[in-house]
Amino acid sequence: MWRTATVREVIAESRSARTLALDVPGWPGHRAGQHLDLRLTAEDGYQAQRSYSVASAPELERLEITVEVVEDGEVSPYLAAEVRPGDQFEVRGPIGGHFTWSADEGGPVLLVAGGSGLVPLMAMLRHRAARASDAAMNVLISARSPEEALYRAELAELEGAAGLEVIWTWTRSAPQDWTGARGRVDGPLLEAAGFGDPSAVRCFACGPTPFVEHVLDLLVAGGYATAQIHAERFGPTGT
Amino acid sequence: MSPISRGFHGRRRDADPARVPPGQYVTPDFPVLSAGPTPHTPLERWSLQIDGAVDAPLRWTWEEFLALPAEPVTVDIHCVTKWSKLETSWVGVSLETLLDGVATEAAYVTAWSDGGYTTNVPLEDLTGGRAWVVHEYDGAPLEPEHGGPARLLVPHLYFWKSAKWLRGLTLTLADEPGFWETAGYHNHGDPWREQRYWND
Amino acid sequence: MNDLHLDGNGVAWLLDQITGAEATTTLRTCQACGDRRALGEHRAYRGAGVVLRCPSCQKVAVCIGIQGDHLTVRWHGTLRVPLPPQDAAPA
Repeated sequence: MWRTATVREVIAESRSARTLALDVPGWPGHRAGQHLDLRLTAEDGYQAQRSYSVASAPELERLEITVEVVEDGEVSPYLAAEVRPGDQFEVRGPIGGHFTWSADEGGPVLLVAGGSGLVPLMAMLRHRAARASDAAMNVLISARSPEEALYRAELAELEGAAGLEVIWTWTRSAPQDWTGARGRVDGPLLEAAGFGDPSAVRCFACGPTPFVEHVLDLLVAGGYATAQIHAERFGPTGT
Repeated sequence: MSPISRGFHGRRRDADPARVPPGQYVTPDFPVLSAGPTPHTPLERWSLQIDGAVDAPLRWTWEEFLALPAEPVTVDIHCVTKWSKLETSWVGVSLETLLDGVATEAAYVTAWSDGGYTTNVPLEDLTGGRAWVVHEYDGAPLEPEHGGPARLLVPHLYFWKSAKWLRGLTLTLADEPGFWETAGYHNHGDPWREQRYWND
Repeated sequence: MNDLHLDGNGVAWLLDQITGAEATTTLRTCQACGDRRALGEHRAYRGAGVVLRCPSCQKVAVCIGIQGDHLTVRWHGTLRVPLPPQDAAPA
């Protein structure tokens, strides 16, 4: 069922992304990693629908999504550039049980994010922090540039927590004085982001389809079984 | 009643209503839709055939197909998912040319493609200058994601009938509903009568 | 090569309508290759409707016609649908 969502706050995350904080009366709650369907209605009744991962932890009172502008997109330019507090649309959810993590499930967990694939994984990281969980969690993030990276400051703060490691790699341009990884995620980087023995590790990989397919190949080559790996592919489509 | 999203319009374009079938909106984009992964048959292994209820099957290699007389085609196309694209330009071989000399009692055609896709069309919908097998789009060789090297083009029906990655046309005596037709879409698919779904 | 496919997570709402529950975690045994994988792991393609393909062998698993007020579902392979302990059906 569709519920009315009212925008309460708009937060700039990067050059091309904004977080929308929403009030959704009746929202039943969600698990970290789930998404919602979002529907816009134009004045003449025309509707467009897209799916967005929930960025906020389940513990947060308001619902947050982070929208990255897709060039020539139909919905994202509106959400990421036009929307103002007070604007309304509809959401449906939460949706998806396969790509979720709860602190009760413990670790170790390896998160691998490509671009906006970081959004559902951020919900997991925020949930972990909200529950003060010490489940071992490493997150490997591939981003094009610091201007396009999401949640950098918040991740730097979270990083101090016990059992959490954040590894960035930059595919286009790195921050000044960067001494860490650059370029596409590869086998050695994935190994460095892991926990040594892959056998007990749950992996969550999210991002554009080519990124996810590449990471899946690397994970399997690195000794992770398919049963341990959860993937969510983002793409240019809406149903 | 859905709340109106202030300022949202989408990427629709205004157009002459006479050119837009009921329930459609015009897009400047060319959305890529598919039932499966893009096939990549090497041209040296590609062929197009016409078979089934015919006296003698026909078969063209890629070189033979390109040597057939082709013509430019500019048409509007309409997808059952509600987008329409106007003035699309193609180059291809008309079905008149391909079916020239074919003797048959068949009234139906099943178009079949690399990857297993099928769709069914009455033979008479492919004649009368209303259908082509096209190999160019917008001045360049047809890209794989849009059905290259060659696809069927039947613009007067919803675009799922314009099978991508076409490899053959099988003439049949009985109508044989294809991939989407057996999943609840309309057997004929005339956008001007809004024949989207099987019970329409 | 970018296939433009998503996965079952991307069409989760549609699948939930069909199975009535959290479909993406439901396991499907492929009729073609015998592999058992979660629906969330299946590759999803958007044509007129939605097609899910087995992640192991790429054969069509589910074909979903999206038709206004209803779906038309063509299903291949078998699903494993766990029942809550108190509802376990007698053999």
